[in-house]
Amino acid sequence: MNLLLSDDYLLQDYPENITNTIRSGHSTCVRFNRKGDYLASGRVDGTVVIWDLETMGVARKLRGHSKNVTSLSWSRCGRYLLSACQGWKVILWDLQDGTRYREVRFHAPIYGAELHPWHHHQFAASLYEEQPMLVDITDAGDIKYVLPSVQKRPNTEMDTATREKQAKEDARHMTTAIIYTATGDHLLAGTTKGRLNIIDARTREIIYSEKIATSVVTTLRITESGKELLVNAQDRIIRTFHVPNLSVEDLDPDTIQMPLEHKFQDVVNRLSWNHVAFSASGEYVAASTYNNHELYIWERGHGSLVRMLEGPKEEQGVIEWHPHKALLAACGLETGRINIWSVTSPQRWSALAPDFAEVEENVEYIEKEDEFDIHPQEEIQKRRLDQEDEDVDVLTVTNGGGLGDDVNSFRVPILFNLGESDSEEEFVNVSLGTVRRKSPGDEDGGEATGEEKAPGKKGAVATRGRGKRR
Amino acid sequence: MSELESAGGHPLAEQPPPKRRRVHNDGNAESVPRHGSLDAPLRGQSLSIRRAPKGLKETATPGSDDTRNRYRSSTPSSPRRSRSRSQIPTTRPRQPPRSPMYSASQSPRSPRSRRSPTRSRSSSESRSSTSGSRSRSRTHSRSSSSSSSARRSPRSPDPESQLPPPPPSARQPLTPHYQKRVALRGHTAAISQVRISPDGRWIASASADGTAKIWDAQTGENIDTLVGHMAGLSCVAWAPDSNCLATGSDDKAIRLWDRVTADPAHACGDGGRAYGAGEDGKRGRAAKVDYRRKKAETRGGMTGSRPLLGHHNYVYCLAFSPKGNILASGSYDEAVFLWDVRAGRLMRSLPAHSDPVSGIDFCRDGTLVVSCSTDGLIRIWDTSTGQCLRTLVHEDNPAVTNVCFSPNGRFVLAFSLDSSIRLWDYVSGAVKKTYQGHKNEGFSIGGCFGLLTEADGRSLAFVASASEDGDIVLWDVITKQIVQRLEKAHKGICFWVDVHGGALVSAGQDGTIEIFSHAGALPEGGEPMNGVVREVNGVNGHDAVREGSITPNAAAMADDELQRQIEEDAGSPMLLQVKEEQL
Repeated sequence: MNLLLSDDYLLQDYPENITNTIRSGHSTCVRFNRKGDYLASGRVDGTVVIWDLETMGVARKLRGHSKNVTSLSWSRCGRYLLSACQGWKVILWDLQDGTRYREVRFHAPIYGAELHPWHHHQFAASLYEEQPMLVDITDAGDIKYVLPSVQKRPNTEMDTATREKQAKEDARHMTTAIIYTATGDHLLAGTTKGRLNIIDARTREIIYSEKIATSVVTTLRITESGKELLVNAQDRIIRTFHVPNLSVEDLDPDTIQMPLEHKFQDVVNRLSWNHVAFSASGEYVAASTYNNHELYIWERGHGSLVRMLEGPKEEQGVIEWHPHKALLAACGLETGRINIWSVTSPQRWSALAPDFAEVEENVEYIEKEDEFDIHPQEEIQKRRLDQEDEDVDVLTVTNGGGLGDDVNSFRVPILFNLGESDSEEEFVNVSLGTVRRKSPGDEDGGEATGEEKAPGKKGAVATRGRGKRR
Repeated sequence: MSELESAGGHPLAEQPPPKRRRVHNDGNAESVPRHGSLDAPLRGQSLSIRRAPKGLKETATPGSDDTRNRYRSSTPSSPRRSRSRSQIPTTRPRQPPRSPMYSASQSPRSPRSRRSPTRSRSSSESRSSTSGSRSRSRTHSRSSSSSSSARRSPRSPDPESQLPPPPPSARQPLTPHYQKRVALRGHTAAISQVRISPDGRWIASASADGTAKIWDAQTGENIDTLVGHMAGLSCVAWAPDSNCLATGSDDKAIRLWDRVTADPAHACGDGGRAYGAGEDGKRGRAAKVDYRRKKAETRGGMTGSRPLLGHHNYVYCLAFSPKGNILASGSYDEAVFLWDVRAGRLMRSLPAHSDPVSGIDFCRDGTLVVSCSTDGLIRIWDTSTGQCLRTLVHEDNPAVTNVCFSPNGRFVLAFSLDSSIRLWDYVSGAVKKTYQGHKNEGFSIGGCFGLLTEADGRSLAFVASASEDGDIVLWDVITKQIVQRLEKAHKGICFWVDVHGGALVSAGQDGTIEIFSHAGALPEGGEPMNGVVREVNGVNGHDAVREGSITPNAAAMADDELQRQIEEDAGSPMLLQVKEEQL
């Protein structure tokens, strides 16, 4: 609804500076829900924390994992959250009451698990040193389907030695990242050898495969529309692809093409990228840098670098772009804080005084003909009331408010006193190699619930705190 | 401000109100004593809402009058501050009698110089004892205007004679016909606010006796009494889940309560440890059960838990965001605070007004907050950035005492002390409708939108308001006509009205709460509908069609099951609409 009044649309559509830093334990991954009002973060200790972005406070804590949380995925309705951890376990949480809705165990640590975009009873998981799985949990028992990482070889005449060699090779070929397409009918998978596979979710067969990178594919992201694919690989190049429409009636696997659109890389510094993300509309691509503090933002249309975001003096890990705002969340690798970059709109002063207008240059005031006419009060009043013959509609909801105003959608219940419910600890580097445990009361108290900081102030506070400790 | 204070020799009452006003930027705001910014004599008057009414508590009367007089003498000399150009007339003479100031309003109406004369005029008007005649003349003009409008129903009720319920013969497709059902007694002082919970099952009332009470909306049974505030209560708000409520008091604190256990919701801090400890670490639901057991001990005692502290003066109005995660509060310290409900933490403080903040509301999607003040301004804020997006001022600049969003969030309804309720289109900044016919000259009275829907699809959106003569007045939103007047619902002043579908509840100076219910489609003694009437009121029929489009956005929800569940939970879309209004 505020869109009716604000002219925030005039603002730039990529984040500018740090507006918030929130912390609960040591976060390793984050994910926004579809509506963009909640942010889930997974911690090193296996706790999943749900943040309310409106209050920048903790909305819920979910305990069930014992190892580092590696990936998070929200259901479309925002009620279910899938979390995967290194402890061979995937949990689907019901946020209505914070219980474990389903729990699925695997035989290996999990790289990532993603929920089907439309059904929360189906997900795909990529596993460490194992073939990826498609899991159906509609029924009480979960059904796991193993997905292939390598396309079936055409049945050509080959001697057994070659075939064995190939089989061995194929067995070492693993999938490292797997995601659904927008419709959920297909899966996109990246492999250790830099191949991109398209898997039909129904037949569970690879219908298209192509080598797109020279090294391991680490991250796959897709835009909301499902038309663009973002690939991060260890060869220091971020690539974007156009995804063809895979849900057409008579899809011929042989005609599928995945045209490469852009390659983003820093050829000067030879940087590797920790994590990548699409902006809300796919217009921008953001990446966190390996062994470096900056976040890079490219414009996808021209493929040009538009911004290097400076943040705290810390390497950033997982980054996430808000589903419809110019807002970026990133996890600091060292401290496990979640840093949030966004844009701040300036106060319009004319909003405070309705008879004032903001003008570019001086305007000579020309009084109206009847400006100083004196009318009897009653007459003015009468005229005013007579003018009020317009039809007003106080009931019909127009969609001026953007996304977040569906009254019937799921709401996360409000819980009290989450901050106190466990000890919040943070490890900070005191000096090289020495780590010191830091409890929340130590510095700016009650930090676990998040605090707001002015852009430049952040660094100053941190240094002061550190200095004190020595 | 309550009888607690004046009767019990509470320090609040004995302390003379200082003449100094809190200045935002002087940095020593905390040093202002308890009555710090209680500068406005106007508010002094409306404050008496929460003083025990004369009839009920004799001891309270002299004290309150005393204070009021003191305010009067102190005000004109009190130094004012000007924060922005819009507040230039910093010394606002509320004192002088009306007539001279009235002539001032006839002075040249240049947009630049307009402010100060109108402003002083309006404020003096609201204080004047003779303004009755003025409001009458206004109703004159109103009635004539109504007859000139072609769309209105031919039988325009004569507001001048202020006749009882207009619909002797059912001339409108749908007419509210609320009838007194239950009277709830229990409060020992005037009741400043009463609100029906979003699910319609409960009623919460905030009283000057320092307590809030929860009632069953059906039976009228007093479910619980919330004791803990040190002074009279000015406001109460329901969380959208109907399980939590917030109260604001003259002790400057806001308290959150669990509806089920009647215990403070924030059971942390000192009080929390007092009875949270030794519960072998049970949390959540289990812990609540434990509280239940201990309730007898904690109730009444001041062991309570941590309230939301931060306001420097009386907390005067409260509103929950539609999600229930943010609580907005307005105070006599002229600021609007946004609280993180979960953590009980002050999230944002908005230097909102130059007078006490008298009303506050959230729009349906929670992105906007509207606040109003006796400085005559209505301000719309962006919840997420805390920026002021729009300021609405009426030309006459009457003090605004209460404000709420329309059910769809596109309009703002503002109650002001010139006995008018205005419907603002906040985007264009224009008044769309003015509702008159009630009396509101010195008190913060309240009301809300109501929506009646019949099984046959007819529906009526109306505005309900309390009136200082003890009546409750209901207007058709579109025609501005009074569709029902519940006469003498309360002895003395009726302070607050809340509507939830077919239920209407009111509270007043007499310390009672009245529940009214809408008596079906056919008003008693009314003629059955006839074709002619329907034709005349085709406008409303048209509206009904439009309202049909409110149906929840059935966007392709993947999780059918969830969707169904939620719908079951929330009831019909109509009910949802009404729920919105209560926020």
